[in-house]
Amino acid sequence: MNENKVSLSAKNLLKNYGTKNFETRVLKGIDLTVYQNDFIAIMGPSGSGKTTLLNILSTIDKPSQGEVMLADKEIARLSNKELSRLRRDKIGFIFQDYNLLDTMTLQDNIALPLSLNGVSGKECVRKAKELGDMFGLSEHLGKYPWQLSGGQKQRGAACRALITDPEIIFADEPTGALDSKASRELLKCLKAVNENGRAAILMVTHDPFCASYAKDVYILSDGLIKCRISRGGERKEFYDRIIEVQSSMGGDLS
Amino acid sequence: MRMMKLALLNFRNGFRNYLSLVISLAFTMSVFLNFQNIIYSDALALLGERNKNNVDTIVQVISVVLVCFMFFFIWYSTNVFLTRQKKEIGIYVFMGLTNQKIGKLYMIEITLIGLSALVLGIAFGTAFTGLFQMVLLALSDLVVEISFQFVLQPVLITAGVYLVIYLIFVLKGYADIVRSSVLDMFTGARQNEYIRQSFILLWIRALLGVVVLGTGFYFAVKEGGMEVLGNVFLAVVLVIAGVYLLFGGLIPLIFQGLAGRKSFLYQKTRCLWVNNVIFRMKKNYRTYAMVCVLVLCSVTALATGFAMKARYENIVHFENTYTFQLLSDRKDLDDEARELIEECTPIAFSSYIPITTLEESQIKTTTRYTGYAITSWSALKNLAEEAGLSFELEEPEEDEYIRATNMILFSLITDVTSETAVIEGKTFRQIQRTQEPYLGYLQERHVNLFILNDEEYEKLRPAGRELYVYNYKITDPKAFAAARDRLSELVEQIRQKDGYIGRVAIDPEGEDDRKWIKVLYSLCEFMFMVFIFASGSIMSMKLYNDSFEEKERYLVMKKLGFESRLLGRSIACELAAAYGMPFVVMSIASYFSVHALEKMMFADLRMINVVSVLAVGVVFFVCYRLSVRVYRRNVGV
Repeated sequence: MNENKVSLSAKNLLKNYGTKNFETRVLKGIDLTVYQNDFIAIMGPSGSGKTTLLNILSTIDKPSQGEVMLADKEIARLSNKELSRLRRDKIGFIFQDYNLLDTMTLQDNIALPLSLNGVSGKECVRKAKELGDMFGLSEHLGKYPWQLSGGQKQRGAACRALITDPEIIFADEPTGALDSKASRELLKCLKAVNENGRAAILMVTHDPFCASYAKDVYILSDGLIKCRISRGGERKEFYDRIIEVQSSMGGDLS
Repeated sequence: MRMMKLALLNFRNGFRNYLSLVISLAFTMSVFLNFQNIIYSDALALLGERNKNNVDTIVQVISVVLVCFMFFFIWYSTNVFLTRQKKEIGIYVFMGLTNQKIGKLYMIEITLIGLSALVLGIAFGTAFTGLFQMVLLALSDLVVEISFQFVLQPVLITAGVYLVIYLIFVLKGYADIVRSSVLDMFTGARQNEYIRQSFILLWIRALLGVVVLGTGFYFAVKEGGMEVLGNVFLAVVLVIAGVYLLFGGLIPLIFQGLAGRKSFLYQKTRCLWVNNVIFRMKKNYRTYAMVCVLVLCSVTALATGFAMKARYENIVHFENTYTFQLLSDRKDLDDEARELIEECTPIAFSSYIPITTLEESQIKTTTRYTGYAITSWSALKNLAEEAGLSFELEEPEEDEYIRATNMILFSLITDVTSETAVIEGKTFRQIQRTQEPYLGYLQERHVNLFILNDEEYEKLRPAGRELYVYNYKITDPKAFAAARDRLSELVEQIRQKDGYIGRVAIDPEGEDDRKWIKVLYSLCEFMFMVFIFASGSIMSMKLYNDSFEEKERYLVMKKLGFESRLLGRSIACELAAAYGMPFVVMSIASYFSVHALEKMMFADLRMINVVSVLAVGVVFFVCYRLSVRVYRRNVGV
């Protein structure tokens, strides 16, 4: 168990969809705690509730029941304005389809959240360049999204997620649209970010290779966390264990 | 048949989305129809043939402008439709439809939209012809009884013009689709604008734009004689071209320059809206330029209307002061002339004044006029008393003068003392300016009268040619012709004796063949309103259309946690730039266009310029607020 500060905690999360008499319960009681240095991957078969869980934890959706504490605040009690502020200051997002704004350059995309927060232009430039360096994008900062490869775009999206120094980053299938080389580059960067203590990472993925870069893997099935695998030694060995669990649980976790 | 069914289904389902398009097209048509109706209905026949002919000629000219406007408007509307349809077109590609079939589907759908607009436009237009004529005549201050009458010809002309233009763009759209590659069509929805444009190209356009626009302004204000009209035409062409180049070059260049300065760009929402403006610029610059030209036309139209009205009132005001005026070198004509007139009708009042006319070489003034004469303060005072005109003029000092001018509509020159005149080498300072019609028609048309101190006048009198002005106003207008004939005999007698005499005769009951000017004034006001609302609606439609393309982007930003308040502010700034750019360019350009008009029409239109620019500002502001609201709703912010 981590001894450091709690970034996020969820207690008994339930989520139902549909009308009163035809409800489908997607999450059936999830308890989860994410600490400051955590890098958690959530895996599970289709329909297991991975994305729903991520949406609720990241404040995009609301649970039917249960409590989510983020940055010492219970999100159900926050107004829309406070939620927006929380998302802006404490959370970073990485989406499968990058979601970079095609109206602006990569550097502008990265700097945008900081600029909207009212940080000085000089500081925005400095931080955007620093993150660009860290993610190997220095050469590409002046380019538009359509001039970049998928990997570059996703690393750019990661920079954007990190520029406000969030406590936690939510990544929804971040390598879903990338080839293996680009995936590896992105995951290495994310791992480095986490190890440097910049932010906790909660990542939803169906790819064991991708999950093997995390410190812990939670297997979600039928709306519940069925098992947790913690990385002990080498990544390769961790990857094998994930595959093993995957096989023991019935094969496909995608 | 199946294609027809599909097109009908699309048309029915999408009708609400295209309602604004249909209404805009219908509005354009009903305006055109109403203008055409002026020519073919007999509402204005009572003004007399000459007036009616003049109004018809003007309406024809306005119709040409409206046809041009309709052309661009239909071009733009069909483009909007094509853009909105591109997503569906992509789906049809996967359904296995050929380009020709997709093109046909597009043609049927857009024809249905066009026909709806046609029916609506003709119906609205016809329904409002009576109201339009009533408002027009009321604004023109003319009393004509209006009854609703349906005239077929304007309806046929309007429908014909509209259908021809519409057909051109329907075929163009079809050709575009048929020529497109499958990939083009599929990615059409995403392929809207390219981001930044080449700096070299922008610099070339910007420089060219500044030069062309500057040359246009130069020709607009260039002094000249008969070549002025040619200059003005050249100015119009250059200004329109310059405005397009400015929006295609200088303005994107400025925005791209700003986006390059990161310390400027990364200030709150600037990063978002400045980049959005750049992103939209390449596609939207033609719209901005068109709107700019349209509002420029509207301001100029209003100024023309006011100038016309001012001219009309000037003429009426000055011409009706006296019935007869004699200008002669004979000092003793009054008794003779009076006797001749009184044989026909009693004289209501008369006046007399000696004036000394000067050659242009003898007088040098701050502003150049035509026709110079001097008179003494006491003589003018006598004339005013005789004619019952107001006289509130202080006697000038020995180096001062008062100037009697024709009527000016507005004047921003409040310091009349800034003007000077050098008469026979001596400098005089203007202390006052009067528009009282002391010399009636002569003052309106021929003479700029400088009123001097009595002693100074006496000194200068020998320098010029002394003439005497005799003015008479008769009591019985019916006796005008008889009195005129009697005076003609006198004029003839004097001319035969080599005497100098000129005569002015204004029939108080004569048919006013200038009533068309009043109608023109109202037409210009209508044009002003039509152009302003057209510009406002084009901008609103454009931004409405853009908002749908932006929806996804704003969804992403909301997911990223950007506050709605900030996004709303960014939208407000972006739209303010969209409305502000044409407004600012128009405001500057209007100074030159109105100035050119001022020169041609001898009227002071600066106040009209300011007021009309403010009116455009108000309409734009209302459209802007509405656009911001609609845009925010459409993008879900």
